[in-house]
Amino acid sequence: MTDTTDPTDGDAERERVSVPSKVELPRLLDFYELQTEDQTQIHEFYDNLRDGRLTTTQCCDCDEIHFPPRIVCPECTGDDLEYVDLPDEGELFAFSEVRDGLPLGLSEHDVPYVVAVVDLGPVRLSGWIDNAAYSDLEIGDAVSLKIVEIDGPTDEERVFYRFEPADGDAK
Amino acid sequence: MRDAYLVGAGQSDYGAFPEESYRSLFRTAFEAATESVPNGIDGEEIDEAFVGHLGVGGRQLGLSGPAVTEHVGLGGVPCTRVENACAASGFAVRQAVQAVKSGMADVVLAGGFEVMSDTSSDATKYWLGVSGETEWERLSGTTFSGVYAQMASVHMERYGTTREQLSRVAVKNHANGAKNPHAQLGFECSLEDAESAPVVADPLNLYHCCPTSDGAACALIVSEDVVEKYTSDPIRIAGVGAGSDNVGLFQRDTYTGVPASQRAGEQAYEMAGVEPDDLDFAEVHDCFAIAELLAYEDLGFCERGEAGDLIESGETELGGGLPVNTSGGLKSKGHPIGATGAGQIVEAFKQLSGKAGDRQVENPTRGLTHNVGGSGGAAVVHVFEKVQEVSA
Ligand SMILES: [Zn+2]
Repeated sequence: MTDTTDPTDGDAERERVSVPSKVELPRLLDFYELQTEDQTQIHEFYDNLRDGRLTTTQCCDCDEIHFPPRIVCPECTGDDLEYVDLPDEGELFAFSEVRDGLPLGLSEHDVPYVVAVVDLGPVRLSGWIDNAAYSDLEIGDAVSLKIVEIDGPTDEERVFYRFEPADGDAK
Repeated sequence: MRDAYLVGAGQSDYGAFPEESYRSLFRTAFEAATESVPNGIDGEEIDEAFVGHLGVGGRQLGLSGPAVTEHVGLGGVPCTRVENACAASGFAVRQAVQAVKSGMADVVLAGGFEVMSDTSSDATKYWLGVSGETEWERLSGTTFSGVYAQMASVHMERYGTTREQLSRVAVKNHANGAKNPHAQLGFECSLEDAESAPVVADPLNLYHCCPTSDGAACALIVSEDVVEKYTSDPIRIAGVGAGSDNVGLFQRDTYTGVPASQRAGEQAYEMAGVEPDDLDFAEVHDCFAIAELLAYEDLGFCERGEAGDLIESGETELGGGLPVNTSGGLKSKGHPIGATGAGQIVEAFKQLSGKAGDRQVENPTRGLTHNVGGSGGAAVVHVFEKVQEVSA
């Protein structure tokens, strides 16, 4: 290619380069985890959840029950673990109603919503509380498990757990 | 082990500075730190550096430590990045103290930086979640403010702590920050302002939450063997303590305290041979108003459950028995995550050097800094003490 124009001449045609018009969302920024056997070693947790059961791992060596589910026992480092059922009902141990400062993956139409630490007895876990408002709740209120199907952003069929006030405590 | 001394410390302004980079902010802090050394210091005298930060804007960069030390002319010195979320540079200072005490270095730079205003809103959202527990807490929709809000909900239920007491933390820290030229939100706020702000995560409102910030801070730590070269008014790092814990709140045994802070405080007091009563001021990690109240209890400024009464008594205001967050704290001075721990030490240095201007505590001899990562996954405490003679 021969171009005799001065390369510093502002009127000269410059070569154009481009960047992708759309950047794929990194896996890390997907709100939910991937859930199948080839994607996670705790797929059994999600398989059980899909079947309507909230479960977690218990160590066959030291009997410790974990949450979140583990592949190695943090108490004794044993790897002989089995999935056990968790209760469908628990109590609010701490709670808040989120209105701002949302994590990636949630949008303004999701707020306000209640988040809590739910005491299930054997374990405590963080949970989204549906059908509830901060001003109606008290620590110790009973909540029960509900399982939701997740739409998007991929074709993956995914599920997750939430809670809602148990009968009698609903507003 | 040898004693370690704080001979200089300085910071950039905290705020939103689109025209600055992480390097230029660090340079400002480094220059302020070197200029604060009473007898002066030359960059070539620095043996080692530790630099704390969480990200670089919305990015993660490898070798971001050497990238800033090279920029201030320290190319060649060993430099290590320290990451412990919001406690990154508090732990960088602890590393510096260890390097000095072990005898491996005589003059160490410890600092931190963060650039939070240049990220796209999505990256910011993800990245701020990183300071909490990014897996199971995030999956339940729990935000970082939501984690501290849950701690507040339990403290309020158990001990009768009120929203008004939470708001008083903001009023106090803004009153102090209004006297600090480096503060990001350097204005006073009334109790009414602090009570009527929009809710972020019940029971916490906007005035119960610190801002996001750009900024950098640096401290210079030296050994007892060389301290006399740099100052005739040495400040000894009398106590250091640190701890860690489960990153997720739901995995902890207590929500009315931060066990990592408690452990760090106990260790630091024991090493220094002092008690909370011996302190003349403290800079504590007030990322949220409830965090300052929990710190009062974790660090023994009052009994468990009495922090609400302590803030209401005025004891922790400037002029009170134990002024807390004279710099304005994270709430008013700002919270550039990786710079915050070193920035607290800048305030301790200024107070103990008598250079805190309008917010000067009268003749202090001893102060404490307390820096927490996430909601208590890591914590580090330092006790600083003005000494008459170096015990070499
Ligand atoms: Zn086990």
